[in-house]
Amino acid sequence: MKRLSASLLPVLLLTTAACKKAEAPPPTPAPTLAAPTTTLPAPVGVKSVTLGSAIGPDKRVTTTSDVFTPKETIYAVVESDGSGPAKLRALWTFVKGDKTAKVDETVIEFPSSGPAINEFHVTKPTGWPKGDYKVEIFLNDGAAPAMVKTFKVG
Amino acid sequence: MAPEDKDDDMPDFSDVQSGASTTASGAEVYESYEVKPGDSLSKIAKNVYGKASDWKRIFEANRDTIKDPDKIFPGQKLKIPSAS
Repeated sequence: MKRLSASLLPVLLLTTAACKKAEAPPPTPAPTLAAPTTTLPAPVGVKSVTLGSAIGPDKRVTTTSDVFTPKETIYAVVESDGSGPAKLRALWTFVKGDKTAKVDETVIEFPSSGPAINEFHVTKPTGWPKGDYKVEIFLNDGAAPAMVKTFKVG
Repeated sequence: MAPEDKDDDMPDFSDVQSGASTTASGAEVYESYEVKPGDSLSKIAKNVYGKASDWKRIFEANRDTIKDPDKIFPGQKLKIPSAS
């Protein structure tokens, strides 16, 4: 009996230890910070620029084109979005080889609070010289244009 | 454009008429104009609005940069309120 007890002792000890280990409470997960419920408004941005020879009452281009006749009015419709002060500048330029000539520069400033349709237009009563042109759209005095569109008069 | 920058090979765009509008409320629309040698507010007003007497519109739009309406300088950038 003594020998049996002695041989069972390590087994009992191991079993007890195993039971104690199994009873240990699971580790508590680290507390996580709740995600902020408020989101910052998106900054003002230019979504698209569309060229055309006519716009509708909603200021969107109704006749899309990138080739114009000398007597047409040329529209550049800029879709913007986001919140904050917005300054959109349209710089129209005639391009001849590596030379350029400024055609016009018009600015719209407004407090943006969401999507907006902004139209810029130019016309030349004596007719546009044939050739290549571009319109660059600058946002909030950025050094580089937010978008550039090229077009022809021919 | 300064005289030295004038390029006779390039077309003249001085008669270009422009405008802009937006669906956003509270917008200010203006043409950005760089003063040329020989310009005066009344000369610019005559070109833009057809009436030299409209020079006050340009003066009022640039009160932050023009102290004396008789003193504008080549290279100076002016806000030209939309003609419409």
